[in-house]
Amino acid sequence: MASGIKDKVAIIGMGCTTFGERWDQGPEDLMVDAFEEALADAGIERGQIEAAWMGNALDDINVGNSALPLAHALRLKSIPVSRVENMCATGSEALRAAAYAVAAGAVDFALALGVEKLKDTGYGGLPLRTKGLANDLWMPYGSAPGSFAQLAGAYAARHGIAAADLKRAMAHVSWKSHQNGALNAKAHLRKAVDMETILKAPMIADPLGLFDCCGVSDGAACAIVTTPDIARGLGVANPVTVKAVQLCASHGWETQYGAWDGSFVANTRQAARRAYAEAGIGNPRADLALTEVHDCFSITELVTMEDLGLADEGRASFDILDGRFDRGGAQPCQIDGGLKCFGHPVGASGLRMAYEVYTQLLGRAGARQREDVNLGLTHNLGGAPFNSVAAVSILGRMN
Amino acid sequence: MPGRKAQDIGDRFIAAIGVYAPLLRMDRQAAAKALKFSGLGGRAAGRRAVAGWDEDALTLAVEAARGVAEAPDAVIFASTSAPFIERSHATLLAEALALGADTRTNDVAGSRRCAVAALLSTLLGRGEALVAAGEKRAAKAGGAQHLAYGDGGAAACVADQGAARLIGYSSASHDMVDLYASHEHPEPYAYEERFVRETAVAHILAPAIKAACAMADIASSSIAFAAVHEPLAGCWRDIARLTGVTAPNLAGDLAQSLGDLGAAHALFAFALACDKAKSGDRILLAGFGSGCDALVFEMTGAMPGAREAAASVNSGRAFDDYVRFLSLTGSIDLDWGVRSEFEQKAQATALERYGRDMIGFIGGRDKTGNVQFPKSRIPVRPDAVGPEPLEDVRLADLPARIVSVTADRLNFTPDPPFWFGLVQFENGARVMMEFTDADAKGFAVGDTVRMRLRIKSHDHKRGFRTYFWKAAPAQRPPIES
Repeated sequence: MASGIKDKVAIIGMGCTTFGERWDQGPEDLMVDAFEEALADAGIERGQIEAAWMGNALDDINVGNSALPLAHALRLKSIPVSRVENMCATGSEALRAAAYAVAAGAVDFALALGVEKLKDTGYGGLPLRTKGLANDLWMPYGSAPGSFAQLAGAYAARHGIAAADLKRAMAHVSWKSHQNGALNAKAHLRKAVDMETILKAPMIADPLGLFDCCGVSDGAACAIVTTPDIARGLGVANPVTVKAVQLCASHGWETQYGAWDGSFVANTRQAARRAYAEAGIGNPRADLALTEVHDCFSITELVTMEDLGLADEGRASFDILDGRFDRGGAQPCQIDGGLKCFGHPVGASGLRMAYEVYTQLLGRAGARQREDVNLGLTHNLGGAPFNSVAAVSILGRMN
Repeated sequence: MPGRKAQDIGDRFIAAIGVYAPLLRMDRQAAAKALKFSGLGGRAAGRRAVAGWDEDALTLAVEAARGVAEAPDAVIFASTSAPFIERSHATLLAEALALGADTRTNDVAGSRRCAVAALLSTLLGRGEALVAAGEKRAAKAGGAQHLAYGDGGAAACVADQGAARLIGYSSASHDMVDLYASHEHPEPYAYEERFVRETAVAHILAPAIKAACAMADIASSSIAFAAVHEPLAGCWRDIARLTGVTAPNLAGDLAQSLGDLGAAHALFAFALACDKAKSGDRILLAGFGSGCDALVFEMTGAMPGAREAAASVNSGRAFDDYVRFLSLTGSIDLDWGVRSEFEQKAQATALERYGRDMIGFIGGRDKTGNVQFPKSRIPVRPDAVGPEPLEDVRLADLPARIVSVTADRLNFTPDPPFWFGLVQFENGARVMMEFTDADAKGFAVGDTVRMRLRIKSHDHKRGFRTYFWKAAPAQRPPIES
């Protein structure tokens, strides 16, 4: 019987660049900046890194395929370096790989780094795929907002919520993240926005307006992991440890089998169940101090609150409007601004979420620091609600 | 041909008919208003059927042909605006209808008469044949044809029994260049209307019609309805005077309501005539272009498909946006921005492996009865433990409803917004797919939809396109008067 990964891996250093339209920075600059911050934080020599995983989702945009861009940028000398990719869950996938390597005893120190350089596309939104093979013969080529917008209509239909009421709750999600992003020096979007502006923004994909959509950003984030024993040997008495890392991928049933109504993301629910079990969390609403979830679009965050068990089914919009997930609420979500305002360099986002939870656990979050942060959750969602990869990780202090 | 007798034809019938008009109808008066400064545009009355960006001569013909013939021996595709020069549309059409691979297929073209000419050939031949015409003709903005033409399709099944028996015919081959289009000049180049009217009516149409009536051994005045493709609007009066036919010409009305549908025009009008005719009535069908084929039928019963054909003329969505009309007809090339630059190349190898299931909309039924699309080696059923053979199931003709949907305004489409979502079929299959033919209220969760064959990808750079099915509203609204 597998015993899980709880407390077998410690995070001893993390780094994260400023996210945004980094016209002046190439992917190698972003990787170096994130890594140097993490290395200084960890207090080890770069030569002690024994294995590395690079997360990068869109290989045709600038960074390039394989793990060689990372090996070159950081001059990682003759160690195993691999590239992982699982759409928007790529950053979590890199952390999972590095954590597993340490937990398995294969290496003492491993690096997980996510990077994306999206603003070299020459247009807004995510890059367009270019393969032209089997799926292109039938699959609709909708945009990311188009794919996630469908959650809204389906959710409203399932729960009998008026479109205008749902839109207001969605707007509150974005309003809250803009409030938070304004306090984060590394965030892409650092401007508070009022509700009316959000509600009246141009439509991108019904009912998602411009402010229901996250930033498309350049950026990198990384983590250096080791064993708790080694961490203590380095003088970290109570290290941040990985309590759970769980992943769940669609096998196609949502759009091909059964009666999924499009109003929730089943993989998030499954990954959360496993993560809570792995971490020994019985009541996530009470046990988790804060969450960083995949708020690629406002409706995604709303639905994710229910999928993670943090709101009752059909009630998330009320909890949101009541302020439960605001910075000063009972269980803040996206206290760093989230994908919405910190930004979403796809391959880096999972590690950026971990970076914020790590920062909060260590009490380093400055103006946005919460008190009594013992456990935090990250939720990273790749693909679309109907065909997704969900990653749920839980981080906490060792003791 | 002197001495040819009706009894020589044998018992050959049109057994069923189908038509298709695209959703959109451009108001010609609105177009004339937009062109007022120039004095161009031609007649300003009625409407013109306008194909969506994702429709072409093939998809229009396929829509017309659906349900017209179950298992024909041969399929003939007729058009003067077929998208491919080397790639058979008849073969694509047969695959879109999921007909057997042993179906004989052939494309005909050469003039807008080609569909009626092919129909006559099949009537004079043997076996069951499906003749399907589709037309989406290019014309230059400002030219009379740009507004006079319409887009549409029509199809007929020819068999040894049916509702309309061929009792007489006559053909005339005559290279009268009323207008032409060529590889070097794809838009029509038209000559003087007075020349066309006088020459075509007196020397081509009238003699052929009279000869067809003579072969049928009937008085031309006994024709109940005519479906005669006029070279130009208003020719019917002279044709009727010269031939003695007193029946109304439904092809003239059709040109007014949908436009001149080219190869599909006379067949479409014939369907309208069948709807009005009763058993024993005689119908004159005539195709025109580089000559004439005139056919006389006697109705022996109600024509399958005729009622639906008549209803289709008056359902659709009128619009008066001339710039949108220019864009949909390819008359202006808007700058759609960088997002429109994405690669649309299709691979022949992938088409060979999956293409027939795509254009035929064939899913698979597993051993428990679950239907899925696309097929897979290991079924999607959660308790499937390994590969299973899947039985082919066609989804194209099944009703479905919308599970989730959005109007995407970010990704490029030539006629925004881009509607797509999850569709649930009544047999349990579900497919994430594109939507088309949105009406004024758009789409919503729970709406019922029907499948339409449309262009899936259009690779302008390489001149290639692929086809797949899209969900359209189950019903069309009546067109506003």
